[in-house]
Amino acid sequence: MTASPTSAPGSALPSTCEENWRYAPLRGLERLQWTPPAALTDDAIASARALLGDTEATGARWTFIDGHFAAALSSGPSPQASAAADATDSGADLAFARLNRSHAAVPVTLRIPADTTLDLELACVAQSVGHPAFIIEVGSGAKLRLVEQHLGAANALTNLWLQLRLAPGARVEHSRLLQPASGARHFETLQLRLDAGAELHLVQLTTGGAATRSTALVDLAGADATLRWHTAMLGAGQQAHDAYVRVTHDAPGARTEQAYRGIAADRSRIAFNGHMRVTSRARGANSDQTLRSLLAGPAAEANARPQLEIDTDDVRASHGATVGKLDADMLFYLLSRGIAPDAAESLLKWAFVSDVLAKLPDAALRARFETAIAPLLPGAEAARSLA
Amino acid sequence: MLEIKDLHASVGGRKVLDGISLTVPAGEVHAIMGPNGSGKSTLSYVLAGRPGYEVTGGSVLFRGQDLLALAPEERAQAGVFLGFQYPVEIPGVNNVYLLKAALNAARKHRGLPEVDAFEFLQLVRSKMKLMQMDEAFLSRGVNEGFSGGEKKRNEILQMLVLEPALALLDETDSGLDIDALKVVANGVNTLRAPDRSIVLVTHYQRLLDHIRPDRVHVLARGRILRSGGPELALELEARGYDWLLAEAAA
Repeated sequence: MTASPTSAPGSALPSTCEENWRYAPLRGLERLQWTPPAALTDDAIASARALLGDTEATGARWTFIDGHFAAALSSGPSPQASAAADATDSGADLAFARLNRSHAAVPVTLRIPADTTLDLELACVAQSVGHPAFIIEVGSGAKLRLVEQHLGAANALTNLWLQLRLAPGARVEHSRLLQPASGARHFETLQLRLDAGAELHLVQLTTGGAATRSTALVDLAGADATLRWHTAMLGAGQQAHDAYVRVTHDAPGARTEQAYRGIAADRSRIAFNGHMRVTSRARGANSDQTLRSLLAGPAAEANARPQLEIDTDDVRASHGATVGKLDADMLFYLLSRGIAPDAAESLLKWAFVSDVLAKLPDAALRARFETAIAPLLPGAEAARSLA
Repeated sequence: MLEIKDLHASVGGRKVLDGISLTVPAGEVHAIMGPNGSGKSTLSYVLAGRPGYEVTGGSVLFRGQDLLALAPEERAQAGVFLGFQYPVEIPGVNNVYLLKAALNAARKHRGLPEVDAFEFLQLVRSKMKLMQMDEAFLSRGVNEGFSGGEKKRNEILQMLVLEPALALLDETDSGLDIDALKVVANGVNTLRAPDRSIVLVTHYQRLLDHIRPDRVHVLARGRILRSGGPELALELEARGYDWLLAEAAA
């Protein structure tokens, strides 16, 4: 069922009764306004400019406001729009993708020619309601360094759809910073496909807003495709963050390394569901998964769920999931060195997510991601420059 | 410097310290020896303020101040340093950061400004040289992947940088080979000063071959059974602890 562009999504959305949506922040969505503004206003551009501030892109930058391309805040080649097949799959996993397709008529398409290199930043600013839609095709042997940042105004609503296809031998460094403003909601559906020998290194940091749900469906379709997926999630206040990542190893020698680090402070709820599928075609596949969450608030909630579904004998799969509290021995060690309790806790939380941030491709990017979480970790700021 | 009077403490409801009285004047090095399970480590932890170590009686004065009334970080800022028997690994927090944060916390307590970055590095480098440590270790996580000996050297390095008024070294000699033991002992000896006290908790005499104590105390069953000069350590080395335990029981 496809929602009408002017109506509330209602029954088109999944419910928390469904397995992969159990912890998703779905309550009250049918009452939200889902129709994006028809065009960009000067005010929207001015406030987006202020929000983006002095963050400088090293290569081309495309800025989108509520899904509309903002040429005034962009540099490099202009994006192309092209008709794309709708997300026709009727499964619940693509419910938000269908909603996106029903609102964003034409996705932005980027085709990177074979054996070329591109450095691109996608800045998505949410002002009211947006359904940004992207199709990115990375040609054979091409290299893409993609930085994707989501930020915006309080109480905004974003429903992103991103399709990324890597031709044989393509390499992509994909750094994603999800940083919605207070009260804002961010939903997204990522559909990723890797052909033979392609490599995708993805690092994602989710923090802020009222609620986020990230659905990522990854298809390792070609032999020896390699996926490295590192996610950090920091919940505070009454935020709810939920992610479902399904990786299908569907060719011989497909490899995945996945690490998740989540911190739930205050009354926040965070969840990560890492679903690894290995089909009978994926002989010699390798899947390595560590999911760790930290409960850092008396009323916080954290769920970390590894799921393995294996249809071949010739596979090496390891997984581990833990939910714990700050280590009392580490904490006492820091206190015994004169460090104040708040700063010591911040420092340990900082250390906890540093596994993920260390995977970012360069120091400047790392500093930018660290700036996003610094307000949540008071007293640990000085650790940044030394990390 | 340190005045412990009739100190009682329990861990998990079990009585471990049963009336310890001990005075360590400024400028002195005292060794606390005793068999396994005698309460040596508990004493160190109680003085450093570790949660879970409950003081059920007695008092501890540090430079005339009620030490037990202070939070663990306040004790450290005031100049109490605990060298851990088993220093914990903290991946993701690097050594240089910890050293700097600890030094600045102590300086703040004394009303001093934060340490200058250049002076700090010079200070750390000179102390590392003394401890024969490789500079590469500064950017590594605290104790991360360190051998037992490296962890102990790191404890002493921290002590040298922080220059505490009172150092409590809990079995700093355990797990060290003879060369490492000399390096660690040398580090401790450089810190001896008229305005500083050092308490060495140890099983064995061998550390005291390199760090000559002013006083030696034997701790067993949660009490000080005997105190004496350095010769007491030699006697313990020769005769063990059993004769003292038997005398105490008689």
